[in-house]
Amino acid sequence: MHYDKEVDARGLNCPLPILRAKKALNDMTAGQVLRILATDPGSVRDFQTFSMQTGNELLSHDASNKEFTFFMKRK
Amino acid sequence: MNEITPAQLAPYVTGGAFALSFVFGAVANKTNFCTMGAVSDWVNMGDLSRMRMWLLAIAVAVLGTSALQLTGTIDLAKSIYTGANFLWLSYSVGGFLFGVGMTLGSGCGSKTLVRIGAGNLKSVVVYVFLGIAAYMTLRGLFGAFRVGVLEKASITLAPGQSLPSLLSPWLGLSGETSTAILAALVGGGLLAFVYASRQFRASFDYTLGGVVTGLVVVGGWYVSGHLGYLAEDPKTLQEAFVATNSGRMEAFSFVAPLAYSLEYLMFWTDQSKILTYGIASALGVIAGSAAYAIATRSFRWQGFRDAEDTALHMLGGILMGFGGITALGCTVGQGISGFSTLALGSMVTFLAIVAGAAATMKVQYWRIMNTG
Repeated sequence: MHYDKEVDARGLNCPLPILRAKKALNDMTAGQVLRILATDPGSVRDFQTFSMQTGNELLSHDASNKEFTFFMKRK
Repeated sequence: MNEITPAQLAPYVTGGAFALSFVFGAVANKTNFCTMGAVSDWVNMGDLSRMRMWLLAIAVAVLGTSALQLTGTIDLAKSIYTGANFLWLSYSVGGFLFGVGMTLGSGCGSKTLVRIGAGNLKSVVVYVFLGIAAYMTLRGLFGAFRVGVLEKASITLAPGQSLPSLLSPWLGLSGETSTAILAALVGGGLLAFVYASRQFRASFDYTLGGVVTGLVVVGGWYVSGHLGYLAEDPKTLQEAFVATNSGRMEAFSFVAPLAYSLEYLMFWTDQSKILTYGIASALGVIAGSAAYAIATRSFRWQGFRDAEDTALHMLGGILMGFGGITALGCTVGQGISGFSTLALGSMVTFLAIVAGAAATMKVQYWRIMNTG
C-alpha cells in the first residue's frame, strides 16, 4: 500500500507509539497515508481506539514477522 | 485440643492469593486492563473507556468490600489504609511520582507483571528496579527521606480516615449505617457514570476487566482478612493475619510485594522468610498472564529499543518503587484495594497518580513535537 510518511515505533510501548503517530499526522495533510510499525501487542487496540476517537481512518493493520503494521489515513 | 497454627493456614492464604491473582493476570491481559493506559487514552485520545474500566473495578470493590465489612466477615480497621495517620504529603508526592514512573516504565506494577507474563523483557528490568527502589524506601536510603521528611507532614484523623469513620459523627449515624450509605453512594455513583457510556456498554471486555478486577480485590480481602485471620496466634497469643508481610489484613498491591519477592529469593535459606500473600500474588499475575498469552499464541519476546528506552524504564521502575511505598500503594493497592475501604488517603493517592501520569504524557508529547 502506498504511504506518504512512516513512524517506526518498534520497541516502544504505550503511550509512545500513539504520541509519535499524533505528531506525524499533525505534520501531514488530509488524505495522506501514514504507515506505523510497532511491536507492542497493545498497539492494535490503541490504534483502533485512536482511529475511532480522532476520525483518522485505520485503513488496515497486519501482524506478521512479530511486528504490527498499521496504515492510517489523515482526516 | 488441636489449635490452628499459622503454618497450617499459610498455604490457604498464599494459594488463595495466587489463584485470585492468576485470574486477574489472565483477564488483564485479555481485556487490556491498564491504569496507565486508562490515563493515556483519556489524555491522548479523549477516550474514557479504560478509565471507566478502572472505575468499574473500584465500584465493584467498594460494594463487595463494604458487604464483607457489614456482614462482619472482615474488619477494615485492621488494614493499612484506614489508620488515623493521614499522610497527605506522602500520598500526594508518592502518588504523583508513581504516576510519572508508570508512564515512563510502560505501566504500573500490575501491568509490569502482566507484560512479563506476555514476554516483555523490559518489564523484567522494571520489576528489578522497582523492587530494589521499593526496598530502599521501606528500609534503606529512600526510607530515611520518606520517614524523616514526607511523613512528618501528617494530620491525625481520629478515629480513622475512612469516610464512614469521618462522617458518621456528622451524620449522626452508626458506623454500619454510614458504611452502607457511603458505599451505595460511591459505588452506585461510579456504576452510573461507567454505564452511562454506550461505547462502554457495547464492549463485553470492558465489563469483564472491571468486574473481575473488582471481585479479585474483594476476594483478596476475604482470603487475608477472614481465611487468614487468627484471633490468637498460639505462639504470640496475639491476633495475626497469616502469611502477610505487613502483619495487617491485605488485599492486592504490586509495589511492596515485588520488593519482598526479591528479598525472598535473596534470603531463601533464612527460615524466617516465608512465601507470603503478596509474593504469591505477584507470581500469580505473571502466571495468569503467561497462561493467557501462551493459550492465545500472543506470547512474544520484547526487548529495549535503545539506550534512552532502557534508561527511561529504569527510572520509571525507581519512581514507582519510591512512590508506591511512600503513598502506601499503587494504582491497584491504593487505587482499588485502598479505595474499597473508602479511605480518604486512597482517594488522594488515586488523584495524584492520575495527575502524575497525565503531566508526564503532556511532557512526552511536547518533547516529541519539539524534537521529532
